[in-house]
Amino acid sequence: MSLAAEAFVSQMAAAEPWPENATLYQPLSDEQILLSDNASSLAVQAYLKMCALPVRVSCRANAEFMSPSGKVPFIHVGNQVVSELGPIVQFTKAKGHSLSEGLDDVQRAEMKAYMELVNNMLLTAELYIQWCDDSTAGEISRPRYSSPYSWPLSHILAYQKQWEVRRKMNAIGWAGKSLEQVYEDVNECCQALSQRLGTQLYFFNKQPTELDALVFGHIFTILTTRLTSDALAERVKGFSNLLSFCKRIEQTFFEEADQSSASSLHSKGPSLL
Amino acid sequence: MAAPLELFSWKGSWGLPSVNTECLIVLAYARFAGVPLKLHKTANPWGSPTGTLPALKTGEDGSFSQPSKIIIEFRKQKYNADFDLSAKEGADTLAFISLVEEKLMPALIYTLWVDPKNYVEVTRRWHGDNIPFPLNFFLPSHMRRQQLARLRLIKGNEALEAGEEVEKELYHDAQECMDLLSQRLGSSKFFFGDSPSSLDAHVFGYLALVLKIKLPCGQLQQHLQSLDNLTQFCSNILTLYFPSELDEGPAHKISIQPEASDLDSGPNKKRKQLLSLFFALGAMLSYALLTGIVSVEHVSIEDSRESQDISEGQPGEEDE
Repeated sequence: MSLAAEAFVSQMAAAEPWPENATLYQPLSDEQILLSDNASSLAVQAYLKMCALPVRVSCRANAEFMSPSGKVPFIHVGNQVVSELGPIVQFTKAKGHSLSEGLDDVQRAEMKAYMELVNNMLLTAELYIQWCDDSTAGEISRPRYSSPYSWPLSHILAYQKQWEVRRKMNAIGWAGKSLEQVYEDVNECCQALSQRLGTQLYFFNKQPTELDALVFGHIFTILTTRLTSDALAERVKGFSNLLSFCKRIEQTFFEEADQSSASSLHSKGPSLL
Repeated sequence: MAAPLELFSWKGSWGLPSVNTECLIVLAYARFAGVPLKLHKTANPWGSPTGTLPALKTGEDGSFSQPSKIIIEFRKQKYNADFDLSAKEGADTLAFISLVEEKLMPALIYTLWVDPKNYVEVTRRWHGDNIPFPLNFFLPSHMRRQQLARLRLIKGNEALEAGEEVEKELYHDAQECMDLLSQRLGSSKFFFGDSPSSLDAHVFGYLALVLKIKLPCGQLQQHLQSLDNLTQFCSNILTLYFPSELDEGPAHKISIQPEASDLDSGPNKKRKQLLSLFFALGAMLSYALLTGIVSVEHVSIEDSRESQDISEGQPGEEDE
């Protein structure tokens, strides 16, 4: 989203309160959505729940193509459409809802840095595993990604997406990595998050921030998504404080929604709750 | 270590030990950790063992080009600038390096390679002046295409071009990132206490370039100059760890030539002479062939046949 549009949106946003009919759009949660999109979507849902802003989740097969930035999830609030966690955080801030107000400058710097760490390593690792590991791409990612479409189009779209992700991996120097190295990176990233969290309730003491929402979205999704192998989830399971952190957020913010939306995430999640 | 480590890096200018972020990171880390290096400063990426700069050549494990791999290699050789960090500081290092890579790197690529004015007046000129002939004719524009493609893929925008909106967005992110770094650094000398670590090397690699290169469109530089502790941080590292560059700084225009010939030394000079000789010969030959002097070749073949006949004939006559 461009900066000018962003400034305009935040100006507009300040004028109106949060409406009741706000909607979050994501790909079809049962048969289409992939690990990385699911993680991002869950992070946004967790963030909005932490802000106590009601949002209705709507699954659309073409969510990716509806989004202004081409990335899911995006929210439709009043007459505005905002995609991805970063801009959504700014958008809610303009409406007077913020989780990071109480932090001092150094903490805010650290929060942003750790959010970039999650984006830079966890998200990239998820994309790599989805699209660059041949067995995962062939058995899970391509069939799921293209499930709503019929034959010729499904192939074209899936391979187009895979090609795009692989080129991106090339550009950021991940193309030469082996799967084992990527798991090692995930391990390193979780190690860092686990160190930073320590024994605290949330990353910054007792108040959840957008960082907590982002970490929850990714770790929870990695733990509860079935892939061709358990290697990714196993790496994350080694960090007990991250596990209890996810359980805590799920209990606190997703309890009542557990029967409806979160239950679909629980295909393999007896470990949490 | 049996063989010494050899590092190939872009050469410096503007009072910097190198004009490339990744080279700066590696050089700074090496100085911080005290790695003994045989340093080759060059402006010819084709002369490095991997074809890109920086490159580390080790005796047994081959060559590496990515800064992260080079730093891991330094650590394997027991040179670790992060040895004293606690686990939490190690985590912070990872996080802030991610921050810099996500927010500052795209803006730096944009300002050096994509912004048309900066590229033509500074980046292309410097590379054109310093990269050896004949690479200097096509390498700068080739590098620009590569960097633009990289930026497009990083930002996920296939049609990204130089423009006000892109610039605003990238510079906004970068300035926010600098603000955050400045807040994190506070009044301390380095990011973690009194001794520098790999995070300092990374931050220095990006900020020193922003600070020192004088660009016609220098919004990033202006913003950085308003953050006193970060500018102080950069000049501190330059004075403490690269004192020789600072001396050369003001007189860099004069010192570039001798510096280059010093470092390229004997074998390279000979190689250059040989290369130019071959080039001249090649040009002359192809000119000759192309302008129909080909017939001369035919004649010479016939001549040699005739002379062969004669020489074959003569012994025969003698036999008879």
